[in-house]
Amino acid sequence: MIDYSLLAPGAVLALWTLVMLLWLAGTRFPAMAKSGMDVKTAQPGGRGQDLEQVLPASVNWKSHNYTHLLEQPTLFYAVIIFLTLAGGVTQTTLGLAWAYTGLRVVHSVYQATINQVMVRFSIFVLSTICLLALNVMAVIATLG
Amino acid sequence: MGPVAALAAWSMVMWVWMYATRIPAMQKQKIDAKGLVGTTGRTLDDALPAEVQWKAHNYNHLMEQPTVFYAVALALAIGGQGDGLNTQLAWAYVALRVVHSLVQATINRVMLRFAIFAVASLALVALCINAFMAFVIV
Repeated sequence: MIDYSLLAPGAVLALWTLVMLLWLAGTRFPAMAKSGMDVKTAQPGGRGQDLEQVLPASVNWKSHNYTHLLEQPTLFYAVIIFLTLAGGVTQTTLGLAWAYTGLRVVHSVYQATINQVMVRFSIFVLSTICLLALNVMAVIATLG
Repeated sequence: MGPVAALAAWSMVMWVWMYATRIPAMQKQKIDAKGLVGTTGRTLDDALPAEVQWKAHNYNHLMEQPTVFYAVALALAIGGQGDGLNTQLAWAYVALRVVHSLVQATINRVMLRFAIFAVASLALVALCINAFMAFVIV
């Protein structure tokens, strides 16, 4: 019987990513309306990153974080699935995976609101250390 | 697993489409890749016609949100939840992303593209909630 408990922090982080998508939309659309932009008459092919110099920075911060959540966490999903399939679910990997998810949620809230680079960087480094440890354990578990 | 394989394969189709339009466009602009150092695909946003770059924009887009889809779909499948409604939601997500690709690569009207993306995202939200229920609430 496979132990699925290591998938839980992944499920939470995936859902959190979509919460950030809603936060992004909930701030971007009012900001676009306020700046007098009308998407209906926009040039074909416009993208979110075209709003970079147009909308207030704090509006775009939500979008920066949503994009960020589609970068490194994709490694995290792969690693926890490797560990689950290779029998690598232990108290240690569970603790590290929940720590990673928790730190990434804090990182999101921070980047979307205060966004001081050094603090954001520190949270990111801590979460990356968790991922690095998980990744090493996944290598050990899969090489078996 | 079916929808996972289908969307991954579709991403490779977009990859081919991207180069099949980008390389001739670069030749037309007389851009010689041999002399380029350190530029990225994004550098071409200013050099090539927008429709050519739309294929690349969509290929990049397929490397973003669908990675969450792959994770959730794999988790549901190996967790014994890959049946019925979850399979339908996953196929709906994949189909909408294919339509989204076709729109972005061709007409690329922002409101239409956004509407398709929003509906696809709702399918993914539903899958995420199902994974949350299966693995977190238990």
